[in-house]
Amino acid sequence: MEQILVNGAILAANYALIALGITLIFSIMNVLNFAHGQMFMFGGLIVYWTVAQLGLPYAVGLAMAAVAVGLIGMAFEVFFFRRVMRDSTREENTMLLAVGTALLLENAALSLFGEKQRGIPPIVTGVYRIGDAFLPANRALVFGISLVLIVAILLFVTYSKTGRAMRALAQDRTATLLMGVDTARISTLGFGLGAALAGIAGGLLITVSGVNAGIGTAISTKAFIMIMIGGAGVVSGALLGAVALGFIEAFGYAYLPGSLTYLMIFVALILFLLIRPQGIMGKPWG
Amino acid sequence: MSTRYFEARDLTVSYDKVAAIRDVSIGFDEGQVVALIGANGAGKSTTLRAITGLKRPGRGEIWFEGERIDQIAPAKLVERGIAMVPEGRRVFPHMSVRDNLLMGAHTREDKAGVASDLERILTRFPRLRERLRQNAGTLSGGEQEMLVIGRALMTKPRLLLLDEPSLGLAPLVVRDIARLILEINRDEGVSVILVEQNSRMALRISQYAYVLETGRIGLEGASAELIDNAHVRALYLGG
Ligand SMILES: Nc1ncnc2c1ncn2[C@@H]1O[C@H](COP(=O)(O)OP(=O)(O)OP(=O)(O)O)[C@@H](O)[C@H]1O
Ligand SMILES: [Mg+2]
Repeated sequence: MEQILVNGAILAANYALIALGITLIFSIMNVLNFAHGQMFMFGGLIVYWTVAQLGLPYAVGLAMAAVAVGLIGMAFEVFFFRRVMRDSTREENTMLLAVGTALLLENAALSLFGEKQRGIPPIVTGVYRIGDAFLPANRALVFGISLVLIVAILLFVTYSKTGRAMRALAQDRTATLLMGVDTARISTLGFGLGAALAGIAGGLLITVSGVNAGIGTAISTKAFIMIMIGGAGVVSGALLGAVALGFIEAFGYAYLPGSLTYLMIFVALILFLLIRPQGIMGKPWG
Repeated sequence: MSTRYFEARDLTVSYDKVAAIRDVSIGFDEGQVVALIGANGAGKSTTLRAITGLKRPGRGEIWFEGERIDQIAPAKLVERGIAMVPEGRRVFPHMSVRDNLLMGAHTREDKAGVASDLERILTRFPRLRERLRQNAGTLSGGEQEMLVIGRALMTKPRLLLLDEPSLGLAPLVVRDIARLILEINRDEGVSVILVEQNSRMALRISQYAYVLETGRIGLEGASAELIDNAHVRALYLGG
């Protein structure tokens, strides 16, 4: 039991980074980032490349993953999303674009890194005991880094000037413009920050379970599940969704045979959405 | 060139090729309150949107403090001293009153000035001080109007555009808002363009007024005279 809780907490912290990132992009841009899982995957593979192939320290690899994936996100906003949103009158267009960027990243990863599962050795070795549960030091480190980042992001969004402008932009674009905010710049930053979080999450997870070029869709699906549980576009919802999914998964893997966990999660999600379509924290639509 | 403090000359603005306003010209001197009245759809909001750059005029020029401003981006106009309170108030609903006000100071670097302006605005609006940590979405209509006016003042404007501040407010609250606009104009030396459906209130507190009729200036003149104008009385003041 304790083991399940420990596993759940570690998953939840990693998922929270994913959910926060996709929420940031969704609330600021009003775009569901279908490429979020692919950004996660890219972050993992960049860490693999810098650490396993170039022999650089893990911290450097993780920073590279954050920066590189962040830049990819910013480029997507500047060169793709901004243009399509300006010229198109239908929301489906940005959705198709988002799916397109996911395919683009996935194929780029395939040609750069191949389709093999990649991992790197744990950054730290050793195992802690918490009651009856075993906590490998590496997972504890991943958990710690995730927590620190989550707190940092929350502080940034709540108290910094730029973070405040991001929240404003998510709530009312015109009013934000009237405050003299360079909304284009804030959108680019928001997209970049959301992407960087996905990259970091991938760069952390590769030390635990490895990453391959094809996992993007599965990760994006998890991200969607989390924001559907918590409520789209709400930070508290993202965190709640991450915690819920992390623990449900941990319990499922402990008590159910392999692939049944996600089948159950989907069935539960459908039932849940029938009762509460806006998620736990979300505002009802309309 | 324009020699007046503010001048919009022959503005024509279209949505999808249909003109919403045509050849609208407005001008006034520093420190004035100017009213823009007219029926629904006459083009009042469109005129303000053109001035703040939210909607580019197809034709015409806009001059402010001796400079042409009609090609300047909306965000940059804030730094030039023009602030607008849009129709429907538009507070940031999931943000505290304090954060809403601080959003108004986004472009400002003078920390001490921002702090003292915040203090001054909270003194002017004690209701906002009591609710500093409350989410703006939970305020009453009148409080929200005070908040968006306060938020606009935080940008340190020299020209303030107000789009229907009285909309949906009880008569007593409308009186408060009217008094407030006059105080701001007097105490802070801010020039005001006031768009209103409440023509009586607008004509009372302005020195000069323009009447928009389906996209054109139908009538203009000193507000005190328009109040007595038979045409205005019949159409906009309920006889
Ligand atoms: N975004 C838009 N797209 C198309 N037409 C628009 C748009 N905004 C305004 N219009 C049209 O332009 C004309 C002027 O509208 P505007 O909003 O400026 O009027 P208004 O005087 O502010 O009216 P109200 O008192 O109802 O606010 C109207 O015919 C309106 O339908
Ligand atoms: Mg209007």
